[in-house]
Amino acid sequence: MSWIGEFEDELRRRGVRAGARERLIAEFSDHLACEQEMRLELTRLGAAREIAGQYAEELASDETRRSALATFAALALAAIALIAGQAELSRIGYPGYDRGASPLLVLIALALTVVGAQVALVCGTLAAWRALRRRREPSLPAAEIALIHRRTRIGIAAGLMTGAGTLLYVFNFIDVLPAWWLALSGSLTALASGGLVAAWRADARSTATVSVAQGPAGDVFDDLPPLRGLRAHPLRLVMLVGLTVGVAVTAVVWHAEHSLIEGLERGGFEVVALTACFALFGRAIGARR
Amino acid sequence: MRAEALKGHLDGLILATLKVGPAHGYAIAQALRARSDGAFDLPEGTLYPALHRLERAGVVSSEWSTEAGRRRRTYSLTRSGGRMLEERRSEWRLLSNAIESVLA
Repeated sequence: MSWIGEFEDELRRRGVRAGARERLIAEFSDHLACEQEMRLELTRLGAAREIAGQYAEELASDETRRSALATFAALALAAIALIAGQAELSRIGYPGYDRGASPLLVLIALALTVVGAQVALVCGTLAAWRALRRRREPSLPAAEIALIHRRTRIGIAAGLMTGAGTLLYVFNFIDVLPAWWLALSGSLTALASGGLVAAWRADARSTATVSVAQGPAGDVFDDLPPLRGLRAHPLRLVMLVGLTVGVAVTAVVWHAEHSLIEGLERGGFEVVALTACFALFGRAIGARR
Repeated sequence: MRAEALKGHLDGLILATLKVGPAHGYAIAQALRARSDGAFDLPEGTLYPALHRLERAGVVSSEWSTEAGRRRRTYSLTRSGGRMLEERRSEWRLLSNAIESVLA
């Protein structure tokens, strides 16, 4: 098999897109033609499989980093949409739980919104932070690429879950809240969800290129060095984060609603939700082994 | 010089070659060999993944041209590529001075 044939086969095997493949083939064909003109008997290009592999690994790393950063941008826009809707709602006044179609629906909507937004924030930020932190590395290990993709996808799914919660809330209070707020919140959520779906598709495209580079994936303790002491004690990490967030939420709600009971309820919900999310997603996002 | 020894410096060497003017892959390989008096005899195929990587990073740009009936991709240094080259030069001066001090 010719050098070019072997090179093209390896690029195809590694899932390099047709456009990039064709461009490389044209460049290497030109290079080989130049060598022939110089009457070089042996090509100085090097081993075709190694060069194709190096290209695929660098491309996979770049696309993964880009996808993580694009997802972070899409999640940031979704967060702005959510905050804008909630700010307007707080200005006109929250409706009582029992005034809509079903109190159960409100609870589901709020749980989806509150939990989804926080999971999206954590996963999206961790994915983007890893992409930024490792931006100077030409190629990342395959395990690390997989970790960034998992964080990205959980972040997007959680962002979409937040959108679903908002839409459920809109549906529940469709006869109670002003039409302009329903339209504003519904359209902002639809727009944000569109961005997240586009980010999901971009991430799926970026997984087409296969890297087989060896090396560790790293974990959340590599991303956040001050927490390294807790690497061997995941339970302590949950307790530390859970208590910090729980106390903060309790204090904020107590101050805003003038009710310690409500503050404790919301703070307690945060601790339970955070522990459940850690159990569910901890291993996938590299927060525990 | 072994290709391994050039790892980590290839990007800076490519940028320095393009500082002289736009060039295609083969010409860059030739210029690297000529300017190093033949010391940089790396597998030339490794240049292309590096050029594509530099282009994705926005430090070089490229366009197709046709010469003697062959399609050819010509690379040029961008403004941020010029800045990156200056950074690489400064880093190299610091490193080579430090190594020289230790080895001397």
